[in-house]
Amino acid sequence: MKEPLRPESLYVEDRVIHGGGDGKLSGSTDIIEFSGFNLWYGDNHVLKDISLRIRSNIVTAIMGPSGCGKSSLLRSINRINDLIPSCRTSGVLNIGGEKIYDPDVDVYELRKRVGMVFQKPNPFPKSIYDNVAYGPRVHGVPEEEMKRVVEESIRGAALWEEVKDRLEEDAFSLSGGQQQRLCIARALAVEPDIILLDEPCSALDPIATSKIESLMRQLSEQYTVVLVTHNLQQAARVSEMTAFMYLGEVKEFGSTKDVFENPQNELTENYITGRFG
Amino acid sequence: MLKTGARKSGGRALMGRLVYVLALLSVAISLLSLVVILGDALADGLPYLTWRFVTSFPSRFPTRAGILPALIGSVWLVLLTALFSFPLGVGAAIYLEEYAPKNRVTEFIQVNIANLAGVPSIVYGLLGLGLFVDALALGRSVLAGALTMTLLILPVIIMASREALRSVPKLYREGAFALGATRWEVTRQIVLPEALPGILTGTIISLSRAIGEAAPMIAIAALVYVTFVPLSPLDRFTVLPIQIYNWVNLPRAEFRNLAAAGIILLLAVLVAMNSVAIAIRYRHQRKAV
Repeated sequence: MKEPLRPESLYVEDRVIHGGGDGKLSGSTDIIEFSGFNLWYGDNHVLKDISLRIRSNIVTAIMGPSGCGKSSLLRSINRINDLIPSCRTSGVLNIGGEKIYDPDVDVYELRKRVGMVFQKPNPFPKSIYDNVAYGPRVHGVPEEEMKRVVEESIRGAALWEEVKDRLEEDAFSLSGGQQQRLCIARALAVEPDIILLDEPCSALDPIATSKIESLMRQLSEQYTVVLVTHNLQQAARVSEMTAFMYLGEVKEFGSTKDVFENPQNELTENYITGRFG
Repeated sequence: MLKTGARKSGGRALMGRLVYVLALLSVAISLLSLVVILGDALADGLPYLTWRFVTSFPSRFPTRAGILPALIGSVWLVLLTALFSFPLGVGAAIYLEEYAPKNRVTEFIQVNIANLAGVPSIVYGLLGLGLFVDALALGRSVLAGALTMTLLILPVIIMASREALRSVPKLYREGAFALGATRWEVTRQIVLPEALPGILTGTIISLSRAIGEAAPMIAIAALVYVTFVPLSPLDRFTVLPIQIYNWVNLPRAEFRNLAAAGIILLLAVLVAMNSVAIAIRYRHQRKAV
């Protein structure tokens, strides 16, 4: 059910940002918890003493200037940073109460629960069908269920009508925006709880961008969505909560409405009024 | 102002033309020498390149001499070498590229593999003689020859395969890891299929080098007059380059014609193998567009 449009709202989309406490925010609980979390690449201290609680079933936007650490923060959540040999972390990062940097954590199961979509659409050089089926196959979903999983996932990414007759075609035959929705479908296919999106629209045109943005809204009904973006309007349009990062620190975190209308930190204010970025 | 500028650019233009002429000259010299060699071999050898020549054994009489044992020996050698060198080379490349930590030890291994590719082939021949023929008691067999050739071309296969693996975009790997795939699943299902054309091209070109090598096989096989076809990997053998070398050294002029015919045959085999490599690469490029 859609919320009534509030006249004082700054935002053009067909929804309103709520302050913490009412509406969607009240129904959600903390699912991702950073506390005293640090990250280094070699000697480069990229994330500094991060403490942040990201709530379930809403869109949380992380914004900030280039190099502020927002992507590194996102890539800590599914531990894809582990692929970088010089990467070290300290502090605690909990997902659903589980310390995901504990040595006995199964990182492959973690990544099944925490899907990720990248900046540039990166479908595999396979058919549309096989792209979506890749994750379920890895995790042992039997082939007889695959058709259903693939269809549901592509429907979930609002792509079904466009590709239902061409599932065996090469994924590269799709447009950039379709490829990105295919990557979202691919992430949905392993049935995650959390979806991380790392500037998912930065390589897309405005029409494709608006499709992905409304898809993010839909996804937050069912999933926890964490969006990294350098596009302020995008953060304002799609998120319930917004974090502002600067030089590896979270400078401000609150409801999107508060952060945009009444920023507490001078840096945040300068950033959203366009004085730097 | 304009005048000095014009003079300056005149000098630069001259330099440009000079480089163009030198580059053209380099191409001309390489092509010309190839044409001379080929022309010479074709003129001497073509009349002798008959079906009888391909299917006969060597003989004291040039009119009866053929190249069959050397041809079969070379086929044996290249097949066995492929069997050993492909999995070893690709395995080593996968380890170095996908698994090995990026540290000094890995770097040291990498530098040494590159160095090994530059070691003269006769050194490999002597190593093979000591290791496979004597120490492992394989004798002067096709097997010992193939193992020696494997050592010889392994560095090149490893380097070509690493290059092919490295050219697979990081985005594919990250995409698969993000879905919860393990390192091996990512390598086998995503990286290897993409790298395979490059790996195959490198392997085939290495194998065609192996088929043309004489020096290490002289150390291993040392047979110049073979009147039988090797039927198992433990049989003795000879190869095309040795047979050709042998004929060139015989006093009668007709044997030099036979050598030329052998060279044509060897070149034909090489061209055929390289064509396969080019075809694989071409097909892949077309697919990627």
